[in-house]
Amino acid sequence: MTATSAFFERLTAAGHDPRFNKVCGSVRFDIRDGDRLEQWLLDIDRGDLRVSQSAAPAGTVIRVSAQVAEAMARGEVNGLAAITRGEILVDGDLNLALRIGRLFPRTPDRSERADPDGGSPG
Amino acid sequence: MRDIPGTVSCIDGNTFIVSDASGDVESSPATPVGLFAADTRFLSRWVLTVNGQRLTALSVDDSQYYEVTFFVVPGGAVDYVAEDVSAIRRRRIGPDLTESLTIFNYGQRDVDLDVRLEVAADFADIFEIKFDLHDKAGSPYTHVDANELRLGYRRGTYRREVSVSASKPATFDPHGLRFSARLRPGEQWSTRLHVVMRALRPDGLDFRSALRAQRPDESTLPASVEAWVADAPKLDTESTALQQVYHRSLVDLAALRFAPLSLGGATVPAAGLPWFMTLFGRDSLLTCLQTLPVTPSLTPPTLRILASLQGARNDNVLEEDPGRILHELRYGESAAFEEQPHSPYYGTVDASPLFVVLLDEYERWSGDAALVMELEQEARAALAWIDQYADLTSTGYIWYERRNHATGLDNQCWKDSWDSISYADGRLPGFPRATCETQGYAYDAKIRGARLARTFWGDPDYAERLEREAAALFNRFNTDFWLEDRGYYALALDGDGTPVDSLASNIGHLLWSGIVPPERASRVVEHLMGPALFSGWGVRTLAEGQSRYNPLGYHNGTVWPFDNSFIAWGLRRYGFASEAGRIAEGILCAATYFQGRLPEAFGGFDRHTTRYPVRYPTAGSPQAWSSGASLLLLRTMLGINPHEDHLAVDPALPSAFARIALLDIPGRWGKVDAFARHRPEQP
Repeated sequence: MTATSAFFERLTAAGHDPRFNKVCGSVRFDIRDGDRLEQWLLDIDRGDLRVSQSAAPAGTVIRVSAQVAEAMARGEVNGLAAITRGEILVDGDLNLALRIGRLFPRTPDRSERADPDGGSPG
Repeated sequence: MRDIPGTVSCIDGNTFIVSDASGDVESSPATPVGLFAADTRFLSRWVLTVNGQRLTALSVDDSQYYEVTFFVVPGGAVDYVAEDVSAIRRRRIGPDLTESLTIFNYGQRDVDLDVRLEVAADFADIFEIKFDLHDKAGSPYTHVDANELRLGYRRGTYRREVSVSASKPATFDPHGLRFSARLRPGEQWSTRLHVVMRALRPDGLDFRSALRAQRPDESTLPASVEAWVADAPKLDTESTALQQVYHRSLVDLAALRFAPLSLGGATVPAAGLPWFMTLFGRDSLLTCLQTLPVTPSLTPPTLRILASLQGARNDNVLEEDPGRILHELRYGESAAFEEQPHSPYYGTVDASPLFVVLLDEYERWSGDAALVMELEQEARAALAWIDQYADLTSTGYIWYERRNHATGLDNQCWKDSWDSISYADGRLPGFPRATCETQGYAYDAKIRGARLARTFWGDPDYAERLEREAAALFNRFNTDFWLEDRGYYALALDGDGTPVDSLASNIGHLLWSGIVPPERASRVVEHLMGPALFSGWGVRTLAEGQSRYNPLGYHNGTVWPFDNSFIAWGLRRYGFASEAGRIAEGILCAATYFQGRLPEAFGGFDRHTTRYPVRYPTAGSPQAWSSGASLLLLRTMLGINPHEDHLAVDPALPSAFARIALLDIPGRWGKVDAFARHRPEQP
């Protein structure tokens, strides 16, 4: 299992996050691996999280390469820096995207990024 | 980092251009001149020549911050009288830069014009300029076609681009553009130059495009500035100096408003030109505290953006912890590639308590209970951060010691230069360090947090707990920091608990926070107003007689208007109205030497010796919390304070001002007026 799918499975299992008690919205992750597109839809309803593999429309779409998604799931990515350098593409509500970013883990002593100048979201 | 005298700025939030007096930009690597957006320099060269000659300014009109007009003639100042040709460059900044160029022929003969504009873009990150770094990891590119010049920079998926086009036919080349025209006597020629800055994603969209779409039409800008000034209370006073500084402060606060990417178009104050044109936690919170009586609309977006970027995890590069409020947010290349930790950087220990202080103070003024409810979770997390993450030695204080050893800040208090915290004999204390004013902010945050918990959050147990903690902090602080033989509070505690014995302005903030027992206040005030700290203009950051004192030391002897405004607020809180008035008079009088625009800091030289405030070489200007300082000093002179549902007024004017009226002060009371008249002291 990839770190990415393990991350979404953990979210499914959690079901609720009190930090999102005042948040409603939907975010879809479009993860591109070569010619393959993997789509995860996250619905947030006052802290209740519902995760599905779905191509349904969402208020906010986050596009990343599989490589960057894996690094995010391992806690190695600073989301705002990655948005600024064009590795994570957000369409829709950037504020919600940044809040969602808090669901991802973070290793306290992140080493230098594995591939500092690569990882196009395609 | 160098000061550049004679520069002209044109500002719109975090987009700005700094040029010389003729409108030209000729950057050398370490000087912050050029066209900037998103912490990146998009134009490093912008030089106009007419028939091979550079232009000289006869006059410059920069009375509107977003628009500058240069009246120029070819050649040096000595021979212009013989010139038949003159020109006007009118520049306006918004999301794009536009410059209208008009050339006149007032001579008797036909004139052939060769108009050349040299253009270059180095895409320097603001930190490359600050630290004079040259080697860029990515590659530049240039694209020339019949209608525009495009200069770009690419590093992996990071891409920034600037394009220059004109309304008249021009010849474009990789280094600029050229126009030719023939003017008969009395004729004029003009063109409009258009400079577009883009922060491009790999799919070709500007990642700021959603934000730009929310921006009101550029043509509404003058009206919006007028409305901003018209919405503020009216100042009625006989002092033209005070009127000037009040108006200048309002307009500069308008200029520094910028819309962060994730705030849906709402604007917050950027900290200041040229180095700090972005969101700083501390600066924006203190600016909002200063400006609540005048421009309260700055506060809700500031609290919201800081809440939305509040720390959630542990990260030793960003120095992020759950609940911690950010220090600095940048969008440039060094932040994007984490060569600098500003995406965002959390290395400050005062923004978290000040977040709670501002939320409470804002509610007292506005009655906006909804915002207190909306931000309950974030305010609780900020309060929890104080005890769970900041108490590095388990002694009940906020301490700091950087975890990012490469690029983090040594000192994470407002005096954040490396040598700002020292013993009286000049030694630097070890780490971690606990500065005194931060403990005051923590005390105040707990007291105010308790009020919010009891009044709005329906949690009296939490309120009692916060009050118990505040009372314990009060006692502990007054034992551990108080230097009985000196009669003041230690600047800080060393890592081993030893009091750092320097006399510094920080003790003034303790009065503002209310952590000083009333019986000790007069001894503290004697020091603040004594000759070692008080220069005649204001309270120095570090007292004369301390080993590291230098009247031009950034945090070691200069006078900071913002610092003084909070000290004056503290003095009034403890009943020292005439001392607060002396500070207000000194700082506001100093402002007249800077055309009403208080700089970040000025020299700590004695007022009677120099007779004018000495400019600090690299001081930023305009600076949000310096603009805010004059508004807070106005508040302290009027003695205005929200009291339940009305505004209490308790004026105390220094003799420099005979009469001040602030009309239509907004708040939970609707709009009310406050009046003050100087009362000669009774014999």
